[in-house]
Amino acid sequence: MAIKDNIKPTRSELIDLKKKIKLSQSGHKLLKMKRDGLILELFEILEKAKDIRKDVEAQFSLASLKIAIAKSVEGSVVVKSTAFALKDTPELTLVSKNVMGVVVPKIEASSVHKKLDEHGYGLIGTSSRIDEAVDSFEVLVEKIILAAEIETTMKRLLDDIEKTKRRVNALEFKVIPELIEAQNFIILRLEEMERENTFRLKRIKG
Amino acid sequence: MGISDGSKYAYIAARVRAMKSKLIPKEMYPKFLNMEIPEITRFIGESEYKKNVDEISKKYSGTDLFEHALNENLALTYRKLLDVSQGEANFLITEYLRSWDIWNIKTIIRGKFSGASEDEILEDVVSAGQLRYRDIIEIVKIDTVEGVIAAFAGTPYYSVLKEYSGDLADIEDKLDKMYYSNLLKAASSTENKLFLKYLMKEIDLKNLKLLFRMKRGGMEREDILKMLIPGGFELKDADLNRLSSLSFDEFVRALEDYSYWKAISDVSEELSSLWNVETRLDKYAQSYITSISYYYPLSILPVLSYIISKKIEIDNLRIIVRGKETALKEDIIKTHLVM
Repeated sequence: MAIKDNIKPTRSELIDLKKKIKLSQSGHKLLKMKRDGLILELFEILEKAKDIRKDVEAQFSLASLKIAIAKSVEGSVVVKSTAFALKDTPELTLVSKNVMGVVVPKIEASSVHKKLDEHGYGLIGTSSRIDEAVDSFEVLVEKIILAAEIETTMKRLLDDIEKTKRRVNALEFKVIPELIEAQNFIILRLEEMERENTFRLKRIKG
Repeated sequence: MGISDGSKYAYIAARVRAMKSKLIPKEMYPKFLNMEIPEITRFIGESEYKKNVDEISKKYSGTDLFEHALNENLALTYRKLLDVSQGEANFLITEYLRSWDIWNIKTIIRGKFSGASEDEILEDVVSAGQLRYRDIIEIVKIDTVEGVIAAFAGTPYYSVLKEYSGDLADIEDKLDKMYYSNLLKAASSTENKLFLKYLMKEIDLKNLKLLFRMKRGGMEREDILKMLIPGGFELKDADLNRLSSLSFDEFVRALEDYSYWKAISDVSEELSSLWNVETRLDKYAQSYITSISYYYPLSILPVLSYIISKKIEIDNLRIIVRGKETALKEDIIKTHLVM
């Protein structure tokens, strides 16, 4: 028992240990609460993540259909030429927010889904098939950004839950039992020393 | 009858009749739908398109080869029409095919705007108008949008192009409006009243498609009006004014007052997508020009009918092959075919 070997069985050590046990127990309680809170948060995010994943998949199928139609009906030449007119790339701003001590990202994108007359190409020379393909891909990009935010949040939460769980377990099954054991050892040693003292005193008197 | 002296058109009409007989009959399209891509490609490779397929087979493969061969064939066919026509016919065909020059100008400017490479731009041009491919190659070598615009000095397009100030969509729409305006002037300068009538109807159809898109896109009345092309046959300024101020549903109902309603009435309930409407209006244009071209065989009308039918043939073949390549359902492919 390494902990016993390094312990001096003194009253001051006992006081220190008692303080440590109290701190560890309150830390354990707090971490357990944090873990439970994070798990609840994770379940909420999990639902959102499932929904957004489904949305992304559905939107991807729709966008693929629309671009397939645009390429078939208008021709890939027209689709590529029209795509040349679209020079704007969406700007992403990454800010962070705090969920129970876990820093998660918040992604804000500017000007992804645009109005019909803001796409950058002329309307007279194009058709609704191009509009619909462009629209569906713009919506897809928006959904992907949202999915990235939610899935990163979920990943960070999972990492933090794992970390918190390890800490809770370490406190519960290793740190606190060892501290209690050390405390018991000191109490036992102190009692023993007390008895030895009493016995020694009695012998001196006798 | 309002049609100019028929003898002027005798030669071109005879040539066009021969060319028209080589168009793929519409009964073939349902058969293509039942074929696999290699079978269709083989059929096309053994048809009128053989030479075009052989010529570019080193550069492209698969459906890209197919599509580029079709475009190449279209360009050569239209070029042939320009070469074999003379006088008034040549003038009108030239004016009508300027839409391809405008397409190429737009593609070059878009390419320069986005920093595309010369090869990427050249892949997307179709030299079916006045601009020759060799001229396009020279223009594409210019680095900047401004340089490209300067290269068009002295052409009819320069008056619009010089107004470019960074807004690509604006310049594209102005070019398209200029095309129709010049075309109407050209048609009015001849005695081809039916040609003029067809063009006016084409403008109506273009405006209808635009109205459908812009109404559904929730655009404001003023912005819609700026975009519409003046000079329509049924849709005069007052009509365009009225239609552009209505809500989408009211606009669709208001179309019942126009002859075009017959073409789209059966798809007017299902407007979640505008494909149906656009295809129906294209069918309307084709059947209208075909029917009037039969009445006046010695005029520009059969030539125009051929130009449109050839474009539709190219589009239909591409829709089938590209549709099959991307595993589109047969009913979706069918919806887009103009037969």
